[in-house]
Amino acid sequence: MALLSIENLTVEFNTPFGAVYAIRGIDFTLRKGEILGLVGETGCGKSVTGRSIIGLLDDNARITAGRILFEDVDLLRLSDAAMHEVRGNRIAMIFQDPATALNPLFTIGAQIMDVLRAHRPAKRGDLKTDAMSLFADVGLPDPAQMMHVYPHQLSGGQQQRAMIALSLAAEPDVIIADEPTTALDVTIQAQILDLLRVLQRERSISVILITHDLGIVAETCQQVVVLYAGRVAEKGAVEAIFAAPQHPYTRGLLAALPRPGSRGSDLQVIAGAVPSGLERIAGCAFAPRCEYVMEICRGQQPAFSDIKQAHQSACHLHETFADA
Amino acid sequence: MTALTFLLRRLGLSVFVFIGVLVLTFFVSRVIPGNPAALYAGARPRPEQVAAIKVKLGLDKPLPEQFLVYVRDLLDGDLGESYHSRRSINTDLSIFLPATLELVIAAVIIALILGIPVGVLAGAYPGSVFDYATRLAAVAGVSVPSFWLALIAQFVFFSTLGWLPLGGRVSRDISLFYPIAAQTGFYIIDAAISSNWRAFFDALHHLILPALVLSAYPLGITIRMTQASMLEVLSETYITSARAAGISQRVILFKLALKNAIMPALTVVGLSFAYSITGAFLVETIFSWPGVGKYVTEAVLNVDFPVIIAVTLVVTIVYILVNLFVDLLQALLDPRVRLG
Repeated sequence: MALLSIENLTVEFNTPFGAVYAIRGIDFTLRKGEILGLVGETGCGKSVTGRSIIGLLDDNARITAGRILFEDVDLLRLSDAAMHEVRGNRIAMIFQDPATALNPLFTIGAQIMDVLRAHRPAKRGDLKTDAMSLFADVGLPDPAQMMHVYPHQLSGGQQQRAMIALSLAAEPDVIIADEPTTALDVTIQAQILDLLRVLQRERSISVILITHDLGIVAETCQQVVVLYAGRVAEKGAVEAIFAAPQHPYTRGLLAALPRPGSRGSDLQVIAGAVPSGLERIAGCAFAPRCEYVMEICRGQQPAFSDIKQAHQSACHLHETFADA
Repeated sequence: MTALTFLLRRLGLSVFVFIGVLVLTFFVSRVIPGNPAALYAGARPRPEQVAAIKVKLGLDKPLPEQFLVYVRDLLDGDLGESYHSRRSINTDLSIFLPATLELVIAAVIIALILGIPVGVLAGAYPGSVFDYATRLAAVAGVSVPSFWLALIAQFVFFSTLGWLPLGGRVSRDISLFYPIAAQTGFYIIDAAISSNWRAFFDALHHLILPALVLSAYPLGITIRMTQASMLEVLSETYITSARAAGISQRVILFKLALKNAIMPALTVVGLSFAYSITGAFLVETIFSWPGVGKYVTEAVLNVDFPVIIAVTLVVTIVYILVNLFVDLLQALLDPRVRLG
C-alpha cells in the first residue's frame, strides 16, 4: 500500500542568475516497509526531493506545483505546527556526513534525549533507558558510555549509527537517508546499509535511500527511481530495471559501472553534460546526450509508459527496447 | 590536560605578561618629561625643597635602582603613594576599584542578559522587522558617545520623569543614617550582607542609570556578535538534523544553536569589560561615580606616575583574569577545545 506519494513535485530556487529548476515535476510512490532508492547524478534533484518531503528546504526554494501525500494527507498544505508534528515522529531524516549532522557541543546521549523529550514527555530515568536501548539497537558498543560521549570521540561509522539512533528515537514510519554512506569507508558502508535493512525488516520502517551509487541500490533497495535533470527517467522494481533497463540514461549508467574482468579496457562514459538548472527543457532532458535521439525527443517530453507491471520509463523509444 | 594544570600554566605565563607591563610602564613613566618632585612638593616650592624631596623619594638614584625599590614595595603589596595627593594608592584603589567593578559588572550583566536573547532572535529571523530594528539599536549602542547618552539619560530619568537619582553611589541621607558597612567595597553586596535593605535599594537605584549607559557599548556588540554567529550556526547541518528530528524551535535556538554561537560574543564582551575599567571615566564623571576612570584621569593630567603605574598594573591583572576566565568558559562549553 502506498505510504507516501509524490505527485508532480516541482521545485525552483531563486538565485542571482534567475530561477533554477531543481525538480521539474516528479512522481513516485513509496510503499510501506520497502526501501526505495532515489538515484541520479549530483544536481539531479534527489536531495531536494528529500528536503521537500520533510519540509526543510532552504529559504530561497519554492515548491511551485505538486503534492506530497503521506497517508493521503498533502504535507505541502500542512501548517507549520502540523508539519512540526510530522518531523521526527512520522518522517525522519539522516544525512550524508554524520560528523556535521551531530551537534559537536552536546553528548550523543543529550542529543537523543532531546529528541525523545520532544516527542514523548517522560521522566528522565525512562528517557535514559530508552536512549540506551536505541544505542544498543543500532549496534553501538557500550550504550551506557555512549550517553557521555561527544560526537568527535566516535568513528565515522559510529557517528552514523548514532545519527540513525537519533532518527529512530521518535519511531518514525519513514526515514529519508540522504547519501548515508557517502562519507564512510567501504567496509563501514556495508555495515550501515545492513543496519538500515535490519531496521526496515524488524520495525517495518520505509526508507527512501538517496544515493548516486547503483551498487548500493542493487544491494539494498526493492524499488528504484532514476532521476535525471529534475525528472524521473525510469522507475520500478530493482530486479526489473537492473535486468532490463529501458531508458537510455539508465542503460548508460549501468554500462558505465566498472565490472570485474573489464580491467584494462576504457571505462564507459555518457558523453555530454547534464543540462543547467537554469534552462527550461522542452523535450526529453536526456535528448542532447542520447545516442538514440529522434526528432520527437527534442520537442516533446516523453510520457511514462509501462514496460511491465511496476516498471516505467519516460522515453519515446521504450517500445523499441521492449522488443529488443 | 586537566583544567587545574591549564590554569596554573596560564597563570605562570601571565606572570611574564605582568612583568613586561610593569617594566614598560615604569620606565616610560620615568623618561617622559615632568618634575615629579616638584609635584610632590606642592605649590611654588623652593629649589632646595624640591632637591630634598628628590632624595626622600629616591628620585636621585639611578633608574634600575629605583625600579628595584619599586618592585620590592610591590612584592610587599604596597603600590606607593600619590605624588599629587600624598595619599596611599592602596587606600584609594580599595575605594575606587570596587566602585568601578560594581558599575562595569552590572553593565556587562545587563549587556549579556538583554543582548544574547535579542541577538538569538535577530539571527533566527533574518530580514524581519525585528532583525532590522535590533541592527539599528546595536549600531547606535556601539557608536553613540557615552557622555551624550549619559546626559540624555539624566535628562529623561532624573529631570523629566524623576525616577532615578542624578549621580553618586548612595543618597546623602542613606550614607548618614544607614551607612553601609564596608567589606567588599561593592555597595550592593555589602548592604545585602549586612541586611541593610534601605541602603541596598538606594545603591541599586543609583547604579541603574550609569550601568545602563555603560552597557550600551557591550550590549551593541553582544547583539551583533550573537546575531552574526547564530546566522552561521543555524545554517549548519546539525541544526537541520535537529529540525528533521522534530525538536522545537525554542530548544533549537536557545539550547542547541546558542551553545555553539555564544563564544564570540563572550570573548568580545570579556575584552570590553577590561577596557571599561579605565574607559568608563566619562560616565563616572557625569554620574559623580568615584571610580578608577576618574581617578586615573586626574593622575594622567597631573603626571602622577605612581598612580598611573598602579592603575595600569591593576588593569593588566583584570585583563589577564578576564581572558583566563573566557578561555576556561570556552573549554567548558566546547569539549573539542584542548586546554593547553
